[in-house]
Amino acid sequence: MSNKINRRDFLKFVGAGTVGAGAGFLAADASKMSTEFLIPQVNLPEDYSPGIATWYNTVCTQCSAGCGISVRTREGRAKKIEGNRSHPVNEGRLCALGQAGLNVLYNPDRIRTPLLRDGERGSGSFSPISWDEALTTISGVLGTLKIQEKANNAYLLSGSVHGHLNDLFALFMDQLGSENYWQHEFSDPASLYAANKACFDVDVLPFYDIRNSKYLLSFGADYLGAWLSPVHYGVSYGHLRQGTEQRGRCVQVEPRMSLSGANADEWVEARPGSEGMLALAMAHSIVEQGLYSGGDAGDWKQALGAYSPASVAERSGISADRIVRIATEFASASPSLAIGGGAAGASTNGTANLVAVNVLNHIGGNIGEPGGILFNPASTFSGDTPRPRASYQDMLNLFESLSRDDAEVLILHDTNPVFTLPSSANVTAAVMAVPYVIGMSSFMDETMALADIILPLDTYLEAWGDSTPDPGVGFAVASIGQPVVKRLYDTRSAGDIILALAHQIGGELPANMPWTSMENYLMEKWRAIYQSKSNDSSAQGFREFWSSILESGVWGERPLQPVRPHQAMSQAMLSAMRMAQPSFAGNEGEYRFVMQPYLSLAFQDGRGANLPWMQELPDPLTSVVYNSWVELNPKTAAELGIREGDVLLVESTAGRLEAPAFIYQAIRPDVVAMPIGQGHGNYGRYASGRGSNPIEILAPEIDIDSGGLAWSATRVIISKTGRRVHVIKTDGTTRELGRNILGQEHGHA
Amino acid sequence: MMSISVLEALAHFKKPTLVVFVGLAGFVAGIWINSTYFGDASPVQPIEFSHRIHAGENEIPCQYCHVYAARTPSAGVPSVEKCMGCHKSIATDKPEIIKVAQYYAEQTPIPWIKVYDVPDFVHFTHKRHIKAGLECQDCHGPVDTMDRITRQQPLRMPWCVDCHTKKEVENGRDCLTCHK
Ligand code: SF4
Repeated sequence: MSNKINRRDFLKFVGAGTVGAGAGFLAADASKMSTEFLIPQVNLPEDYSPGIATWYNTVCTQCSAGCGISVRTREGRAKKIEGNRSHPVNEGRLCALGQAGLNVLYNPDRIRTPLLRDGERGSGSFSPISWDEALTTISGVLGTLKIQEKANNAYLLSGSVHGHLNDLFALFMDQLGSENYWQHEFSDPASLYAANKACFDVDVLPFYDIRNSKYLLSFGADYLGAWLSPVHYGVSYGHLRQGTEQRGRCVQVEPRMSLSGANADEWVEARPGSEGMLALAMAHSIVEQGLYSGGDAGDWKQALGAYSPASVAERSGISADRIVRIATEFASASPSLAIGGGAAGASTNGTANLVAVNVLNHIGGNIGEPGGILFNPASTFSGDTPRPRASYQDMLNLFESLSRDDAEVLILHDTNPVFTLPSSANVTAAVMAVPYVIGMSSFMDETMALADIILPLDTYLEAWGDSTPDPGVGFAVASIGQPVVKRLYDTRSAGDIILALAHQIGGELPANMPWTSMENYLMEKWRAIYQSKSNDSSAQGFREFWSSILESGVWGERPLQPVRPHQAMSQAMLSAMRMAQPSFAGNEGEYRFVMQPYLSLAFQDGRGANLPWMQELPDPLTSVVYNSWVELNPKTAAELGIREGDVLLVESTAGRLEAPAFIYQAIRPDVVAMPIGQGHGNYGRYASGRGSNPIEILAPEIDIDSGGLAWSATRVIISKTGRRVHVIKTDGTTRELGRNILGQEHGHA
Repeated sequence: MMSISVLEALAHFKKPTLVVFVGLAGFVAGIWINSTYFGDASPVQPIEFSHRIHAGENEIPCQYCHVYAARTPSAGVPSVEKCMGCHKSIATDKPEIIKVAQYYAEQTPIPWIKVYDVPDFVHFTHKRHIKAGLECQDCHGPVDTMDRITRQQPLRMPWCVDCHTKKEVENGRDCLTCHK
């Protein structure tokens, strides 16, 4: 080969050099950091320094429990939610939904401006308008009604609202001249209120002292799931199990094993609706054994005569021996506690079931005792208006009046009855029958879509408020809510909206509701509370008090529980006690299975379904994510030839839905269960079009004594559609497959 | 001719090898050209702000504007409000100041371009360095003489560790001191 460079070689070198240099240039460019900006504040913020976290205490309002939360903020943005350690409801702990509060705040589906309907009513088509326009329009409508003295044709239906916002709503409706203010909540324990009213003459829920109990006998109350105050009970449960030398025992009575059932020592798979009978049979056994210490043992012996364990065994499906054994354990453990709720309270005999549970507590000597049932003081708030809790029956009555000609205006605040009531209640038709519907919500949902005008609300992390937890913790407590971040969008709090409307409507309203903002209103109310408690009327004293409760996020007041006379209670219970047989919609021959819809911690009554973190959170028992499913006992499944993933048709007398099958060992063969929460049609990008809603097909059965919806009283037919889907879950199998994972001795699986 | 002697030195290489060699040389040259003539060490800012005038001539202390330096990880850039604090009355007719006033009137932040940056996996904090008695100029150079800020150090790890070693910083060579 010649070493001469010919023209060809030269061109090759030039080419290689050029390509190399070009590549080098580009490589250097690529290795440069991309241009980043240093964006200054326009105005210097006073309340934070960049890079330094500031914590604010406020209150979680995602369910009625009212846990105290501490929110970590940086540069004015909320970054993380933790439990407030000094709050007696949750003692620093938090449930998954509480953690996902950030998903509420930063949710891309939030309504960001007031909206005016621009299409057919119910078409869900809206266009943005200004707050001025929205408030002027609404105050015009309400003001006209007031002048015409027809304000009683205005209705306010709210979700569960506590504390002073409830007072403000009540005052506003009263000033307007309307008596129609209601609060609707699917999980409102109507039968529990009714049972406790009948037995103890109390209007607030008692304090179930699970923490100090040694034997917890739960009739359907999923206290580790979504029952009443899950975080409080979770912490208490931990103490019951491990807080003292003597580990407490837990027994769970329910037809479908819940999270609490899975954690209990014993699961008692009683027939749905028979829980009360079972409790009375246990009471019977305790009295018979002479373990009841009251002076009126004779009366009780007689009253309980009809509930011998032998006679109840057949109806409950639990053997007499087992009933007697549990009764004996219950009576000899000290202290012991029976609680009732969930499906037991949602049968047609729900209140009777829960009265029976109270009776069992009384016979077991647990009432008024630490570790048993203690009582919450009536609120010590100034002007604490009782919440107008609407039972299912009240809601039906409300819808009937809405459908009448004279209904003029319906204000909906933070509630979604189209989703949380059975389709047989015809919510949509009732709402559509009202000429003018005003919605107040942070999110578009199935009910808001029916409104004429929508006012976007601050989330609870952006608004002022306070709340008294119900159930309380045995002494007077209020949580204080404050904005932890500046509002993200052009939204307002419900309190501010109501006050603005009051001012614009005029008449005597501005004089009787003189506050300039929710913050101002709250401060004035708390000033009055402070002054009545402390006899200190100095401005300085209140300022210090106010900043201290804002800092701690909670205000509390001992002394403890009021004492109640046992004798009178015993009499009240004797007369309240009665046992109706549960009834079910659909005849047993055709509709073979009792349907048990159940609430989950993640979704509550469906409100959590638009939070991506909740969607991707596996269900604690089945580990399924992102969808609905129908739980069947393996025997039932085998008999019907159903495998996991078979899409089933579930039919009740009131409707039908489809959902894939999931084979679940811990459920009675004559019962099927479905989680509540999915099946939204119009609730943002994460929830819509996913799964199905079991509430929809519930028959309109009612707990006779409280008027509450008996959501555990619907029978269904199950059939295969022939289609199959893959059930998305994180578990492979629920079986040990001989690996001895639990480290148990052979034969004790 | 020069080229011939080079060729002779390379004579025992095959021509294709030489082509690759020339290509590589070009590659290195390309990188050099880019970083020398097209570097990002001194980006043109949206406003021709001069540290020489502010920190140099007028002797405004650094932390008068970079208020968080002693307290937090980031030094902070002054808020537009802060600029206007002085420039409501000073040099209000200069075109650059008019621009600042415009940003303020529109309540929009000035999009300054970052000159000094460390990757996200580095936990750097101004607060500690100031506490340790360093002068701003130790890392940022003679800022008080610069009109437009030019980066003095690439902020690469050897540079950090060198200084930590020289100053015998406690745990200064521990990975977790900066990467956590
Ligand atoms: S239980 Fe969960 S959702 Fe309910 S208030 Fe507490 S943290 Fe919030």
